[in-house]
Amino acid sequence: MNRRTFLQSATAAGILAQAPFILAQKPNRKWRIALIGTGWWGKNVLKEAMASGQCQVVALCDADSSALEVASEQVSDLSGDKAKRYVDYRELLEKEKPEIVIIATPDHWHALQTIAALKAGAHVFVEKPTGHTVNESRAMLNAAQASGRVVQVGLHRRVGPHHVNAMKFLKSGAVGDVGMVRLFAHGGGGREQPQRNSEPPEGLDWDLWCGPAPKRPFNGKLHPGGWRNFLDYANGTLGDWGVHWLDQVLMWTDEKYPKRVYSTGGRQIAGLAVINDREQTTDAPDHQVAVFDFEKFTCVWEHRRFAENRAEKHRIGAYFYGTKGTLHIGWQDGWTFHPTRESDTPIHEDSQLQQPDGHNLKLLWSDFMTSIADKSKPAAGIELAHRASVLPLLGMISLKVGRSINWDGTKEEIVNDPAANALLSRPYRAGYKYPTI
Amino acid sequence: MILNFVSRTFMVALVGVSSIYATHAEDWSQWRGPTRDGISPETKWSTQWPAEGPTILWKTNVGMGLSSVVAASGRVFTMGNSENTDTVFAFDAVSGKPLWKHSYPADLGDKYFEGGTTGTPTAEGEYVYTLSRWGDVFCFQASDGKVVWNRNVQTETGARLPSWGFTGAPLIHGKMLLLNVGEAGLALDKSNGKTLWQSSSKESGYTTPVPWSQGGKSQVVFSSSQSYISVEAASGKELWRMKWVTQYGVNAADPVIDGDRLFISSGYGKGNVLIKPLPEGEPEVIWKNKALRTQMNAAVLFGNHLYGVDGDTTEKPLLKCIELSTGTEKWSDATSGARGLLIANNQLIILGEKGELIIAPATPKGYKPTARAQVLGGKSWTAPVLANGLLFCRNSRGDLVSVDLRSAPTK
Repeated sequence: MNRRTFLQSATAAGILAQAPFILAQKPNRKWRIALIGTGWWGKNVLKEAMASGQCQVVALCDADSSALEVASEQVSDLSGDKAKRYVDYRELLEKEKPEIVIIATPDHWHALQTIAALKAGAHVFVEKPTGHTVNESRAMLNAAQASGRVVQVGLHRRVGPHHVNAMKFLKSGAVGDVGMVRLFAHGGGGREQPQRNSEPPEGLDWDLWCGPAPKRPFNGKLHPGGWRNFLDYANGTLGDWGVHWLDQVLMWTDEKYPKRVYSTGGRQIAGLAVINDREQTTDAPDHQVAVFDFEKFTCVWEHRRFAENRAEKHRIGAYFYGTKGTLHIGWQDGWTFHPTRESDTPIHEDSQLQQPDGHNLKLLWSDFMTSIADKSKPAAGIELAHRASVLPLLGMISLKVGRSINWDGTKEEIVNDPAANALLSRPYRAGYKYPTI
Repeated sequence: MILNFVSRTFMVALVGVSSIYATHAEDWSQWRGPTRDGISPETKWSTQWPAEGPTILWKTNVGMGLSSVVAASGRVFTMGNSENTDTVFAFDAVSGKPLWKHSYPADLGDKYFEGGTTGTPTAEGEYVYTLSRWGDVFCFQASDGKVVWNRNVQTETGARLPSWGFTGAPLIHGKMLLLNVGEAGLALDKSNGKTLWQSSSKESGYTTPVPWSQGGKSQVVFSSSQSYISVEAASGKELWRMKWVTQYGVNAADPVIDGDRLFISSGYGKGNVLIKPLPEGEPEVIWKNKALRTQMNAAVLFGNHLYGVDGDTTEKPLLKCIELSTGTEKWSDATSGARGLLIANNQLIILGEKGELIIAPATPKGYKPTARAQVLGGKSWTAPVLANGLLFCRNSRGDLVSVDLRSAPTK
């Protein structure tokens, strides 16, 4: 029910009773907001919340008490808010009853924390990808739908101006019929040496940090920041960058999901993954190719963590190959259309990124606030973010089982492949229950 | 006993200083220079270079890293990483001729930067000492690179490795080699590497050990990931600490000493503080603000003013002048791109992150550059080093240049 239908269906007495409350609420009251996961990115999101002038930071939560202390000092400096500090999000939700919760923990925590925050009545801004496994993401979607709360996912490329304009250009037919899409994120790198395990840093609750995921020995490569390349807690480059660009494909196509997925890759350059009592390396692939077969086009993902990509103009982005030319949508480099005919002039638009994050968080946050106020659908809502997040997760399943998987997107099942289907979920550590909603 | 030690240390220090000045008046044998404060005593250098810039005497590549250079007795030393191997290099300062090098396996460690070595060697007399990010300590013969002793202090003391590895350049203190390893330092016997004292295994910060004294007590201040801690030099006994929690535990800029006061500063938006340690408890805070948030290279105190770089490597750097006694900002400049600087002959010698050398008077009256030259490509986060009229600049991919600033360069 949006505000309009609500007003129409309310009785005259009801309107009179409600109206003064609604009018008085907007200028005077700020949303009570909490942040779970006070690392670099979580603080970036929270800064947008504070900058909006519509939020009062009531609580912060992190398993790392140093990170918590740094964030708390920053909140106090920027807004004057005295946020309460929590190590355990469950205690925070129970005691503070926040109206909005930002979740910027590693992927393996997203589902439990999102669902708990929704159950506690909060609107949620959660980072991408939605879940670490497909069924976590589905449970998040179901919980969001049951709650009636707004869930925005950090897919800021949905609102980034050059992405939005490139999509208009693409949908206008200017690129012609698109038969293939290539998505990529390349960087430099080489062989990886193991690093010694150590005691967790002072003030880090390592058991809680690992939460439902396996508890690896602590290693400096993992925290702060390095967890994306450990498959227990994230899904490597495909789960990180891949979800953004796969979401751009879904933003363009009418198709909701691919019918088949195949992925290969490995660590031929980084070297075999190491984990023992003494030392560890990361374990995510140093390069990976994933093919997503849609009805009307083929989509290929590629990443490399070596060699950079100097033979081409761009290092990151999406190529939409159409009969009239190639559209590249990038990051800092904006978008560029390279027409098929050499004599035609390329068309280019610069990116319009925002600082300090170098993305478009401000716009995404503003959209979230509007959705909460208007009870409208957010730009990167949980339903579309779920569909986008499933794609890299399917790619990782194919990589693990070593074969193509046929995807029934309606039932959200892999067809005739029990072993692959088993990987849509994963066992949780003792004391944690895999979400099924 | 303590008195005895103090006077002995004092004498050693005096002897050390006088011998340096007697034989090589203008060496830069340790991190931040002869007085470990970013100030060079050199006056015989010139900015009268032609339009195309000063002469680059020699150029080489030492591998990935942010390590600075030290110069002693006509040799320069630095380190870098290539193919997961660290190499310590010695060159002839004037000709650039490679004198020796020593390599050992070491991870590139490219977590959130290009990786490579981050520490700087320390030269003293016939020896050069290095500490790797992963805890390898070496004592080399300066003349030929022969390893006098080496050990891995991370594995052997159980000290926890901070996220980016050990970084602080070793400090020679009498017979001791002091390292920022463990919560508040590690002291080795510089002659054989044996442990003299060690602190708890909690993570260190990234500063170098900074010597100072208060009330006649010879102290050394270390950063940990959570605090700045001053210890008695002889024993490692903690005298005071100030809690200072910075994002990711990056307390990296050396404290700046002014008599019995210390200026402490970190990046990541943390800020800076001027403190005065008290006989008991936490130091007194004289003032605190966010005017000069030095993420890596410490500011240089000249007169009553600090000159340094405010802001993280992810932001546009601001070169600033701050009044030490009050914390008041005198000027701020966004054009220089400065990441590191030193002061010599009342001049700021600045290296911008894109390899631009800039000279400007060190004055609170304003930033007015008088000379510029492009001396490097790539990205430079390392402060320049001046020794005997030669300025050494490096970038993160390891290009190292010797820039001839001698007053009358020989043609």
